[in-house]
Amino acid sequence: MAETPSSEAKAGLKLVSPTAIYAILLLAAPLATVLLYSVLTDGQNRIIWDFTLSNYVEVWTGKVYQAIMLRSLTVSMLVTLVTVVIAFPIAYFVSFHVAPSRKALWLFLITIPFWTSYLIRVFLWKVILGYNGVVNSGLLTVGIIDEPLQWINYNVGALVVTLAHAYAPFAILPIFVALEKIDRSLLEAGQDLGESRLRTFWRVTLPLAMPGVIAATLIVFIPTIGDYVTPDLIGGGKLPMIANMIEVKMLKQNDKAVGSAIAVSAMVIVAVITLIFLFMNRRFLRGNAR
Amino acid sequence: MTSDRPTMIEFRDVHKYYGDYHALRGINGEIRAGEFFSLLGPSGCGKTTLLRTIAGFEDISSGAVLIDGKDMANVPANARPTNMVFQSYAIFPHMSVAENVGFGLRKDPRPKPEKARAVEEALEMVGLKGFGNRAAHALSGGQRQRVALARALILKPKVLLLDEPLSALDKKMREHMQVELIKLQRQVGITFILVTHDQEEALVMSDRIAVMFEGEITQLADPETLYRRPNSKKVADFIGTMNFIPATILSENGDTAEIEAKGLGRVALDISAAPPGKGEAPVVGLRPETLTLLYDDQKAPERETDGVIDEVIYFGDMTYYDVYLGGTDVEVRLSMRNVPGRPVLEVGTKVRVAWSPSALVLFR
Repeated sequence: MAETPSSEAKAGLKLVSPTAIYAILLLAAPLATVLLYSVLTDGQNRIIWDFTLSNYVEVWTGKVYQAIMLRSLTVSMLVTLVTVVIAFPIAYFVSFHVAPSRKALWLFLITIPFWTSYLIRVFLWKVILGYNGVVNSGLLTVGIIDEPLQWINYNVGALVVTLAHAYAPFAILPIFVALEKIDRSLLEAGQDLGESRLRTFWRVTLPLAMPGVIAATLIVFIPTIGDYVTPDLIGGGKLPMIANMIEVKMLKQNDKAVGSAIAVSAMVIVAVITLIFLFMNRRFLRGNAR
Repeated sequence: MTSDRPTMIEFRDVHKYYGDYHALRGINGEIRAGEFFSLLGPSGCGKTTLLRTIAGFEDISSGAVLIDGKDMANVPANARPTNMVFQSYAIFPHMSVAENVGFGLRKDPRPKPEKARAVEEALEMVGLKGFGNRAAHALSGGQRQRVALARALILKPKVLLLDEPLSALDKKMREHMQVELIKLQRQVGITFILVTHDQEEALVMSDRIAVMFEGEITQLADPETLYRRPNSKKVADFIGTMNFIPATILSENGDTAEIEAKGLGRVALDISAAPPGKGEAPVVGLRPETLTLLYDDQKAPERETDGVIDEVIYFGDMTYYDVYLGGTDVEVRLSMRNVPGRPVLEVGTKVRVAWSPSALVLFR
């Protein structure tokens, strides 16, 4: 009888092996490589097996790296804020004011931006906001401005608009799900106990929607901090974010050690911020009860 | 016992339409202060809608709802002197038990420690002393209901509305809570309005009951009147078990009528308290417990009829017999207590059934 559990375990291992191999080859192995590179020494086009922490010292003390990391954080936080603030009313509207039979249609419509490639959507914003773009030529034709506006492109604002548009559906869906799960009689109970609709929203709806809001925040924040295409195209190369920096180090300067150290540092920063959010989420899920 | 009390709620020709659907069709009536009042009816009869018009969650299409003499037409739910125990209890899952109970005290001017004491007292009243710090989502069904009660009663409403509060509980718990609710209502003296589809629950708990069908109050009376003198076949059929026996009216003279009931024979009935005629084919109604099987040489105090047992349903304390009356195809159900020396009879046994003309209700 003693071998029964182990034979079960073997069968289980066989079952998970395709996914396990996939995960090891495509996730764990590259991650381990990056981790390893980040503590080795760069020897111009090759890696010298000489363990050092100097890469990390360079990344964490270098003014350029600090500035770019800070920009990445600022942009992704702004994007997250804008996206969630825009997504919440949309999710609220669909959940509370759309007839149940129409909800599926609305969600379907919300996913329409996904039908085109992300790259094309980014180009679209370039066309709209660019030097000779739709906005500028439109305003020029009407005669409101005499020369193209410079401040609407190649800046953080343009980055935020583009990214927020791209990630909005990702933010709407988890908030919508959280709102859908709220028992409508809770809102009636709030009013029954003497609170106005607004107060009930504040004391009941919003706290109960928080898990969705935090999920949306993470879903937007984590990919945008590593976004690479948008700063390149919309920022015109003048507004590199951390992913662009990694690209430059890894591929252009062939400094795999420092590139890896930046990548690992960025991962650590994202992980820390994510953990803070997850902790907040658990607080909300548990409520204030002890 | 409550007839001398002032009116707490008054309905004046209340109508409610959902699009084309006529949910409330002219509700009139009043509920007295301090009364335990039930709205009873099958699902879809409008009882919950009527309750929600009192709470302010449904606008009415026409008519008026008055609470304590004031028209509630433009008073929103959060300004009405009513509180509700929801069918799902609507306990806020992100709050502790104490926070749930104290939810409505935000605008209360009392200092914090006093509010905390009020919460503790409210919890004690519903038998949840010391539960304040528990997470609301970790409570059982019965405990949730108590929290919902405490949360409503702490605000000292003029009227407490209960929307099928016991339907989610198991039978034992339900019967226990019925008694607790009655005691609680006596203790606080607040008007309780209960919505239920369970006729037994309504009979047990209420001072008065409004029986509703298809958006109308069919009968509004105390439980005993409702049970013994239902004003229509619908009400008679909905409340308890009622045998209906086809009859013909031979003569009618003021308060008395001579009828011929199939299987029972000729009967002279006092119809002074009978429901008004509706032009339906006449039937007489008989409750199972007003019929008695006669054993051996027992004699019927009033009338008796021969019968044959068609079905025996054994309930432990009681046995129900379905009996064909007097060689006809009229079948009645009667109930007998299973007392010692009274064996349970078998299907096919020829029996004599005793009955009393005064227990007959004539519907016509």
